[in-house]
Amino acid sequence: MKKLTQSILILFFIASWSTANAQTGDVLIKNATVITITDGTLENTDILVRDGKINRIGTKLNAPNGVDEIDGTGKFVMPGIIDAHSHIAGSSINEGTSQVTAEVSMEDVVNPLDVAIYRALAGGVTSIHLMHGSANVIGGRNETLKLRYGSTNPDDLRFEDAPRTIKFALGENPTRGGRSRGIQPQSRMGVEAMLRNSFSEALIYQKEWAAYNEKRGDRRTPPEYSLRMETLVDILEGEILVHCHSYRADEIYMLMKVFSDFGIEKLTFQHANEAYKVAPELAEFGASASIFSDWWAYKLEVYYSTAYNAAILTKNGVNTSINSDSGELIRHLFHEAAKSQKYGQLSDNEALAMITMNPAKQLGIDNRVGSIEVGKDADLAIFDNHPLSIYAVPLMTFIDGIKYFDKETDVKDQRIYINPESSIEEVKILTAEDHDRCMQDADYVDFFTLFNN
Amino acid sequence: MKLKREFTFRLSLFLFFIAFSINALAQSDPTGTSAPTSTYAITNATIIQAPGKVIESGTLVIKNGLILSIGTNVSIPEDAQEIDGTDLYIYPGFIDGMSYAGAKRPEAMQRPSNLFTPDPPNDYAGITPERSVIDQIDVTESSIESLRKIGFTVSHTVPYGRMLPGSGSIILLSDANHTDHLILRENVSMYTQFSGAPGAYPGNTLGIMAKWRNLFTNASYQRVYAQAYSKDPSGLSRPSQDRVIEAFYPVVAKEKTVFYNANSLLEAQRAIRLKNELNFNLTLGNLEEGWDLVDQIKESNTNVFMSLNLPDKPKNSTEEDKSDEVVDLEMKRMDAFNRHLNQFGDMKSQGITFGFSTMGATSSKIKANLLAIIEAGLSENDALSALTIDAAKLLGIESTTGTLDVGKIGNAIISTGPYFEKDSKIKMVFVDGDKYDFEVKENKSGEGVSATDEAILLGSWSYTSNTPQGVQNGKMIIEKNGDVLSGVITNPNGNSDSELNNLSFVNGSLSFDYAVELGGQSIEIVIEGDIMGTDFDGEASISQFNASWAITATKDAPEQKIKETR
Repeated sequence: MKKLTQSILILFFIASWSTANAQTGDVLIKNATVITITDGTLENTDILVRDGKINRIGTKLNAPNGVDEIDGTGKFVMPGIIDAHSHIAGSSINEGTSQVTAEVSMEDVVNPLDVAIYRALAGGVTSIHLMHGSANVIGGRNETLKLRYGSTNPDDLRFEDAPRTIKFALGENPTRGGRSRGIQPQSRMGVEAMLRNSFSEALIYQKEWAAYNEKRGDRRTPPEYSLRMETLVDILEGEILVHCHSYRADEIYMLMKVFSDFGIEKLTFQHANEAYKVAPELAEFGASASIFSDWWAYKLEVYYSTAYNAAILTKNGVNTSINSDSGELIRHLFHEAAKSQKYGQLSDNEALAMITMNPAKQLGIDNRVGSIEVGKDADLAIFDNHPLSIYAVPLMTFIDGIKYFDKETDVKDQRIYINPESSIEEVKILTAEDHDRCMQDADYVDFFTLFNN
Repeated sequence: MKLKREFTFRLSLFLFFIAFSINALAQSDPTGTSAPTSTYAITNATIIQAPGKVIESGTLVIKNGLILSIGTNVSIPEDAQEIDGTDLYIYPGFIDGMSYAGAKRPEAMQRPSNLFTPDPPNDYAGITPERSVIDQIDVTESSIESLRKIGFTVSHTVPYGRMLPGSGSIILLSDANHTDHLILRENVSMYTQFSGAPGAYPGNTLGIMAKWRNLFTNASYQRVYAQAYSKDPSGLSRPSQDRVIEAFYPVVAKEKTVFYNANSLLEAQRAIRLKNELNFNLTLGNLEEGWDLVDQIKESNTNVFMSLNLPDKPKNSTEEDKSDEVVDLEMKRMDAFNRHLNQFGDMKSQGITFGFSTMGATSSKIKANLLAIIEAGLSENDALSALTIDAAKLLGIESTTGTLDVGKIGNAIISTGPYFEKDSKIKMVFVDGDKYDFEVKENKSGEGVSATDEAILLGSWSYTSNTPQGVQNGKMIIEKNGDVLSGVITNPNGNSDSELNNLSFVNGSLSFDYAVELGGQSIEIVIEGDIMGTDFDGEASISQFNASWAITATKDAPEQKIKETR
């Protein structure tokens, strides 16, 4: 009897422990073509998922009691797609009022109710990098999310223990913001000066606090605490990965010089349309690039672009990912990856790595996701055709072994919260704001905010 | 000896009365408006002393601002004004957990011409926690009366502003000559909201969350140092004098509660996130979306005032050939509406004790909203608790108000029937022992509108609206087609006319709303008031902006009909 009580208690403990964390599931996918990314493509293979992790990969695996079995015959399973540049699921994007806002964080504005999350799931995406916008030189910290749609608690979407990352921005966007506000930076020179000034200030701050902490006590004046400086210090100490919005080769090269001077190593260039011009330099620095497949010419600094960017970077040994930066593109990142085969003849594996393993590395989560390996998270996407085929349609999407999208049982209206005062006619598949949210909240002051001080 | 003592006692009593009456004379009121007595006895009434505690045929005596006695066997003081309470119901006065009642919105600060947007001056940034709502309170504010009319006697009033407008205070909703006379508890809370500075830092939630952490953390450090300095300043440099940081000290010490204006699910979660991270006492006010927050509220030990503002009930299309998709969407929208109504009963049954806040709610809709909430599952007792004793406990004023117990402040409502019945009306409200009478119009024949009433209403009216932007004049024209009332109102400055929605005219009370376009946004203006003879006297309000102002109208003389006589 005592034993029984004990085991019940243990059961309770486990149950309460698991509800405090994200939900995990069990599933067996039978007889599918498994694109592992790290270990080739395996025909007629089974994947067993237990407690949200990939438990076994093999043939003739049996489903343990109570575990759902999915017939994968003729279907393709790949690691869940990872978008290293996204602005869905965020209720604010820019704190563009100041040109250095390292203290702000996208984790504060995660919006689990955004229906764009479901649309991304329907495109096989399981993780995104919710980024701060590009209105300022040093923007806010980003947040890496798992698209666990259906929960109303933003904490449930957090990618547990993902490293912290931060947004930087160079070129036209931050200088446009500077000019419109009459503050620094108003030119590319100002951007560099601002970066160097910020890190130099952070070094002073670091010293002040180190001195205070050495002889800490009530009777010593504490230096002023600054969350902004704390964050910059963490960047200098290598604890935060930098993701920098950039286009031109000269500014990409400039940032690498600045980072070399301050000893900062972990760097990914976002967009980086001219990265192909400095690909060997990127490889030497060890910087990554997260780019569009073939999107450009939407402003002057984005004219000198090529669809061969991905291939050139990859062949030069630069870890490269393809991102969406859009609530629409995110639904077919597998098509975007496929374009790198037309322009540059990358292999299937190289192409698919650009939307799985490579972005996982850029976000520091490659120990958990990005490939199909035993022990990794069961974040999986099932397609009816090879995902690089133009005919490929995503069928199911799993995160931690839980199915979040199934084309078979797809319901039209996926909204979680509905405004009772909304009019029915307003429901739209896509609105203009789903595109290009990089500069959202940056310059715009609406009437409501003004009046309702 | 005993006799002598008795005599001395009587003498002193006599002298006391003389002194008292002299004092009374000194305060004589040349306007003749002050009440003849400050003692009231309401007899033979049904008294709901506290939720669930009913006294039938009871008497309530209020004297000099306090409840003197209550019960069935109560002696009535000689100086009492006796009020026959037969058929009347007495309730404890309602308590508003968070509103702007009595506060006057200060002029919006102009954008400084040389604004340095990354670091604007504190008052433009909206970071003024050292201020107090007391400085914004204007005893003539109409919001005091409009809340009192619907039974509220106490309000936790917070200041207008942006991110950190200042301290809130608990005030009595009485007529007073001076702000000080309204104050029940001064500067009890630190009020804060997700309201960024236009085009300057912090501009939105991102900056506000970061700024909050920064201020709080600095205050935590500085407070320790300031304490050490005050103990023994010798050899220490003076602590920096920063009123913003100092305003956080009582919050850091958990001596002062943070009241977060958290309207939506996400805002509430963000406020709780700050609380969990920084560790302060948190009360959410103005919450409209609480149903998914039960666990988070409980785990974080957060207090809640639920908003009395409800969404309008969705109107499903009456078209017969609507598609299945539209039917589905309408159903989901109605479910979402019901979610708003059901949450009150659900949250209560899951162990959350909440009060109500009226911020953002239109006062004339509050009773109807309460009835809808009750219909959706909150018991009448729980609703009354939320309006009275629970709110008092959450505000820490339960020893002075919240029930009709002897010794508490004379805050009471006298209703013509059980309050939660649709047709009952508030006849009288006592605040701080002062009596306020309201004219109760008898329903003529049920709820119907008599023909004569409507004859007054229909036609053209000339209105004068004292908007915050200045006086505006125009016309409103009300018509009846079949059984349906409709109308339009003209807008100034050549803007197109607006159609009147939700037009209602019952027993001389007219209400409607209409939308105007302002700066590319649709703004809903609600008009409510009474028609007496050919005059309309009412109030216009925009709940989005917590703004209200007076509007009057006069019926235009009908075109003369020439009577043909021969």
